[in-house]
Amino acid sequence: QIQKLCDRVASSTLLDDRRNAVRALKSLSKKYRLEVGIQAMEHLIHVLQTDRSDSEIIGYALDTLYNIISNDEEEEVEENSTRQSEDLGSQFTEIFIKQQENVTLLLSLLEEFDFHVRWPGVKLLTSLLKQLGPQVQQIILVSPMGVSRLMDLLADSREVIRNDGVLLLQALTRSNGAIQKIVAFENAFERLLDIITEEGNSDGGIVVEDCLILLQNLLKNNNSNQNFFKEGSYIQRMKPWFEVGDENSGWSAQKVTNLHLMLQLVRVLVSPNNPPGATSSCQKAMFQCGLLQQLCTILMATGVPADILTETINTVSEVIRGCQVNQDYFASVNAPSNPPRPAIVVLLMSMVNERQPFVLRCAVLYCFQCFLYKNQKGQGEIVSTLLPSTIDATGNSVSAGQLLCGGLFSTDSLSNWCAAVALAHALQENATQKEQLLRVQLATSIGNPPVSLLQQCTNILSQGDKIDRRGSKIQTRVGLLMLLCTWLSSCPIAVTHFLHNSANVPFLTGQIAENLGEEEQLVQGLCALLLGISIYFNDNSLESYMKEKLKQLIEKRIGKENFIEKLGFISKHELYSRASQKPQPNFPSPEYMIFDHEFTKLVKELEGVITKAIYKSSEEDKQEEEVKKTLEQHDSIVTHYKNMIREQDLQLEELKQQISTLKCQNEQLQTAVTQQVSQIQQHKDQYNLLKVQLGKDNQHQGSYSDGAQMNGIQPEEIGRLREEIEELKSNQELLQSQLAEKDALIENLKSSQPSPGTNEQSSATASARDSEQIEELKQELATLKSQLNSQSSEITKLQTEKQELLEKTEAFAKSVPIPGESETVIATKTTDVEGRLSALLQETKELKNEIKALSEERTAIKEQLDSSNSTIAILQNEKNKLEVDITDSKKEQDDLLVLLADQDQKIFSLKNKLKELGHPVEEEDELESGDQDDEDDEDEDDSKEQGHI
Amino acid sequence: MTYAYLFKYIIIGDTGVGKSCLLLQFTDKRFQPVHDLTIGVEFGARMVNIDGKQIKLQIWDTAGQESFRSITRSYYRGAAGALLVYDITRRETFNHLTSWLEDARQHSSSNMVIMLIGNKSDLESRRDVKREEGEAFAREHGLIFMETSAKTACNVEEAFINTAKEIYRKIQQGLFDVHNEANGIKIGPQQCISTSVGPSASQRSSRDMGSDSGCC
Repeated sequence: QIQKLCDRVASSTLLDDRRNAVRALKSLSKKYRLEVGIQAMEHLIHVLQTDRSDSEIIGYALDTLYNIISNDEEEEVEENSTRQSEDLGSQFTEIFIKQQENVTLLLSLLEEFDFHVRWPGVKLLTSLLKQLGPQVQQIILVSPMGVSRLMDLLADSREVIRNDGVLLLQALTRSNGAIQKIVAFENAFERLLDIITEEGNSDGGIVVEDCLILLQNLLKNNNSNQNFFKEGSYIQRMKPWFEVGDENSGWSAQKVTNLHLMLQLVRVLVSPNNPPGATSSCQKAMFQCGLLQQLCTILMATGVPADILTETINTVSEVIRGCQVNQDYFASVNAPSNPPRPAIVVLLMSMVNERQPFVLRCAVLYCFQCFLYKNQKGQGEIVSTLLPSTIDATGNSVSAGQLLCGGLFSTDSLSNWCAAVALAHALQENATQKEQLLRVQLATSIGNPPVSLLQQCTNILSQGDKIDRRGSKIQTRVGLLMLLCTWLSSCPIAVTHFLHNSANVPFLTGQIAENLGEEEQLVQGLCALLLGISIYFNDNSLESYMKEKLKQLIEKRIGKENFIEKLGFISKHELYSRASQKPQPNFPSPEYMIFDHEFTKLVKELEGVITKAIYKSSEEDKQEEEVKKTLEQHDSIVTHYKNMIREQDLQLEELKQQISTLKCQNEQLQTAVTQQVSQIQQHKDQYNLLKVQLGKDNQHQGSYSDGAQMNGIQPEEIGRLREEIEELKSNQELLQSQLAEKDALIENLKSSQPSPGTNEQSSATASARDSEQIEELKQELATLKSQLNSQSSEITKLQTEKQELLEKTEAFAKSVPIPGESETVIATKTTDVEGRLSALLQETKELKNEIKALSEERTAIKEQLDSSNSTIAILQNEKNKLEVDITDSKKEQDDLLVLLADQDQKIFSLKNKLKELGHPVEEEDELESGDQDDEDDEDEDDSKEQGHI
Repeated sequence: MTYAYLFKYIIIGDTGVGKSCLLLQFTDKRFQPVHDLTIGVEFGARMVNIDGKQIKLQIWDTAGQESFRSITRSYYRGAAGALLVYDITRRETFNHLTSWLEDARQHSSSNMVIMLIGNKSDLESRRDVKREEGEAFAREHGLIFMETSAKTACNVEEAFINTAKEIYRKIQQGLFDVHNEANGIKIGPQQCISTSVGPSASQRSSRDMGSDSGCC
């Protein structure tokens, strides 16, 4: 029958006929899955290829293929054949996808909007993906726009298709990073968050659940998508998910599932396994948008189902882990109890309460660990609640420290373990708190002296067997040993305290040396570790328990090999590697609660160094000590040099600045120099020009050298003439001096002449004689004068002669210049040029001075400007104040107006009342329409009226 | 952090031309001389300011290797801008531009803004492709062009911002349908309410749109 139908599908030319045949195949496909699958698959695919125009037949064909390939329906019918049917499904899937075009064809069919095509298409592709995910994913990935097309399903207005689209995308994105990223790129986050919001967040149905699973697929272990999610501000959109309110009206199973997934989604974003930067930026965002605060509200709310509460605690843990701001916020959260208690205290109460569910207690421990992770401040606060100074102050309310101590010494081994681990986390990588905790004293029982916390821990360890406990004894001891190991590591003072109790070392060696059963191996290992720590971090301050002595003890009592073997038990334990994987204490049942994550880190760190320390001989030890000392010396030297380098760095910086300023100056100077150089060059050029001329002249000289010799007589002549002139000059001088004598004589005479009034007689004869003499003298003078004249004319003649000769010689000299003379000419020229240069320099100097003056003026103007600016600012301030004043007064005015309006209202009502009472009120009506002054009056009237009433 | 617009970018080009380094320089302002081969696609984001408007850039850095071509093709359609990068010291990366461009044109929306980038401009001594050649190619194909150095950060900022400016210009010209997220453009959350005013509103400034919706 199936064969017949197949033939009809293959050969019939009528569409109706083919359609009927496919419909018949569809109806048979569930019952005769194998047969239909084998015989009809090929024909059905052919139909998909050729009959695209008829949506009905395509729909039937897709349905049939879905029935063949999908296992979903089968499972319900007969469960025993599930395995077989699974094989069937995957086999048919393999056949179908062997031809990649088939998948591509299916993808193109999904573009068809018709419900009859799209819906079965979606279902078929989903089941193909479920059967052979990776292969189908690969085909879709390489087909152009394959993923994008599938994303369009989320926008389909028909809910069925949209919802099945979500399921399809779930299958599509499963463990395929590339597809996850494309889906995210196609705005999947936006769409899915929209759907979740539309459906009512956690109150929504299974669609919300499906969307959340899809979101988880997209985000889990996909850093790129997580970054996109954060950058797209989608974290903010998660906040309303957790606004569950306090109504507690209904916690339907669906709501619990939804919330669970929502919490897990938050955890995906802040998982400790994510890159540190990514997690911390998400943590910040969660605090900023109030998501953390919302989660803390759930934490403290009542009536929240236990598993939601547990998951919320785990989520809060990871949101605050290692993020100081969030940790600080968490420390400030209070429970809404009376009196309000810190959330941390409330949570710790649950941790050490054996009636609480195990998973919840683990969650609280995790939360506490995350609170203390890289939080020195928080560690300090916790430890301080145990210190004597603060214990009394908070006497009436329970503190975190008290709860931890209570847990440590309770009879419940689980509480012991949790408290020990919690306390160890308060000491993690915090030397100060390790020392602080040594101060803690406990009052064990009335009358006995107080015991230190450290002492009490070791006491319980050694006497542990005597106390009757709930749960595994190993758990208690492991917990305490882990606490002690954490406490003592990297803290020599604690080691000293520990060794000070003389019972401790014998106890440890006893434990290690004993040949106990397998159960005890772990405790032996931990004891070995503790002893190892006591050696490695020993500062030799106790004479009886110096490093060397302890080592000898091991060799004698235990044997080195044996000790190392026992030490190795820890990391070889089956639960060790489990705990080392991730920080969350996640145990399937209480018995598995053995190792703490941080402790495994410590073991990794110490195992090697302790082994080395044990094997080392004393000499090596000493050598090491020396090396250490020298190292310390080196360290100090290094720090010294570091300081020096720092200083030099500073100096360097200063010098650099100096250099830069000097460079600037240098540049300026250089430009000046170049200018001057160019000037000099010009001068040089001029000089050279002159030189060239000189050269030419020299050549001339060369050619006229004969002439110079010929005229050699000339200078002699000149010399002679000069001598003559000189003679004449001396003659003249002689004459002149004679003349001057004569003149003086005359003068004498003249002066004697006017005096005759006193001795006229005697002088009359004398005067006559004198006048004769004068006449003589005058004659003489005249002759002399004429002589002089002739001489002077002779001189002038000679001088002209001389002039002529000089001219002659000069003319000659011009044609035959002596080298020395021309050089002096050039020299004079250069001096001339130099003079000019200096003049120019002078000029530039003057200009500079001018510039200076101008810049001074400018600065003065600037100062003026600044001062005026400041006055402007002051004025503006005043203006602002005034504006504020104005607004204030405006407000007042407004208030007054409102008051007035009120009053008006009152008046009106009063009037009405008055009217009712029969009073005449017309006058006041008129008043009301008056201006403001009247209104004020009216107000007064009004108040009076009120007084009356 | 609110923004007026969100633009999606992709960075494409041959392997080893410095796509991831460009993104790292732009988002983190640092340079990593040795960078792992990009597998598939990596995401980065940064806010920029254009014309006084905050614009969020979401950038998908794609793997240049041939084997990832089919995956990276899926990113063309939804991107508003693409940085097409070649290495100025390796001519073959320049020669492959045509094939990249064909791919981009075929799979993207026609309005996608493409910025051609010649990277590694700090390695002038090893230059194999002249600046003029890059300019000519860009002119011929209607692309914006820039030479950058992811190492020295030269022009990196400008490359991303100029691309954003061009997209912004196209939005104001009304060439982009800002309501269709498939174009790689999204209007910021505070503008959401006003987008219902109508498509013509997209040409006005967001502030105007706000007051418009207030009136209605």
